[in-house]
Amino acid sequence: MTATRPLDASMSLLTEVMRHPLDPGYAEASARKAAPGYRRPPRARRVIVLVTAVGLGAATAVAVVSLRAPEPAVLAARTLLEKQITDRTAQAAALRASNQALNDEVAGLQAQALAAQDPALIARLKSGDVAAGVTAVTGPGLRVSLADAPADASGNVAADSMVQDADLQSVVNSLWASGAEAIAVNGQRLTSLTAIRSAGSAILVDLVPLSGPYTVDAIGDPDRMQTRFARTPAASQLAYLRSTWGISTDVAVKTSLRLPGAGAISLRYASPLDPTATSVPSAAATTASHVGVASSDTEVVTLSSTGATRTTGGDAP
Amino acid sequence: MIAVLGLIAGVVAGLWLEPTVPTELQPYLPIAVVAALDALFGGLRAKLDGIFDDRVFVVSFLSNVVVAALIVFLGDQLGVGSQLSTGVVVVLGIRIFSNAAAIRRHVFRA
Repeated sequence: MTATRPLDASMSLLTEVMRHPLDPGYAEASARKAAPGYRRPPRARRVIVLVTAVGLGAATAVAVVSLRAPEPAVLAARTLLEKQITDRTAQAAALRASNQALNDEVAGLQAQALAAQDPALIARLKSGDVAAGVTAVTGPGLRVSLADAPADASGNVAADSMVQDADLQSVVNSLWASGAEAIAVNGQRLTSLTAIRSAGSAILVDLVPLSGPYTVDAIGDPDRMQTRFARTPAASQLAYLRSTWGISTDVAVKTSLRLPGAGAISLRYASPLDPTATSVPSAAATTASHVGVASSDTEVVTLSSTGATRTTGGDAP
Repeated sequence: MIAVLGLIAGVVAGLWLEPTVPTELQPYLPIAVVAALDALFGGLRAKLDGIFDDRVFVVSFLSNVVVAALIVFLGDQLGVGSQLSTGVVVVLGIRIFSNAAAIRRHVFRA
């Protein structure tokens, strides 16, 4: 029994595919034609064959053409998305500009309305704006600079040798503790609601991605701030970053720093200043809107009575 | 010969009219084209063998394309579409190679 079994019986499928690739139908048809009594196929059948062949040829050609040109659809989608991004960005910029203009208008009207009635309230609002980081301010202060360690031969910087969000958080917190009255990181003014955190390898300040080198400007009494800053944990951390990780750091006294405003802050909480005095609009709030930017360009903040510790950063280390 | 003429006419018509393929049919196009190639090579070999037959050619062409598309469809429904497509391409590829080798032997006597 075993002798009759072909050696490659277990591979019959492969044999079938490899040895007999031609459709057996051809051989059968050929045999039929050669057989005696063969008649030509009727005319209708030949027409059907022709029509089917035309259809198959057309279908194949269309399939090949559409397979060879899949690019336009992808390209069109990409162009559409790019256009949408550009449009929306322009839209956002326009809305921001109109928002700024409206804020200026509100501030102007506010000042106009209050000027006659309550000059003291305007002064209070202005100082509130400075504390809230809404208006741009100028004054003497400290500038702390941090820069990533230089890249090695292969052009890479180790993650540990880059400035981390925690480093900036520490510096900023220590500056507040040293008596800073206004702080900006790379031109991003810090408010009581600003978070310093990281997203991937970028550091976000107020959700704006920044890249190194980082400059932390703090306005306050320079001499006093410098003395007190030297005693904060950040000073020792800066020394550690410098010596261990090659991050270049620098603390310098500047006679004049200009910090931009953080822009309008939405009103979250408001209460009447004096319930009995109904003539005064109850616009005084913990976070007042943009007041008198134009005048504050030259305003020098000399208040040095705060010294309160303020924490910044959503996820402090 | 009538089938070959019809096929050529169909190709010309397809290139000339350039109809758009419905999106639902898009996934079946690559396999269908490979199956069509297999049928074409089979027909050419049969011609060289002297046993070409219009009806067999058209029927094998049509069934090849339909079965290939059906297998892909079935695979998609079962979640093994890519594996089944690979299987179909391997089998059809082997057949194309074998037929091409036979054609080569006919043409070059080598």
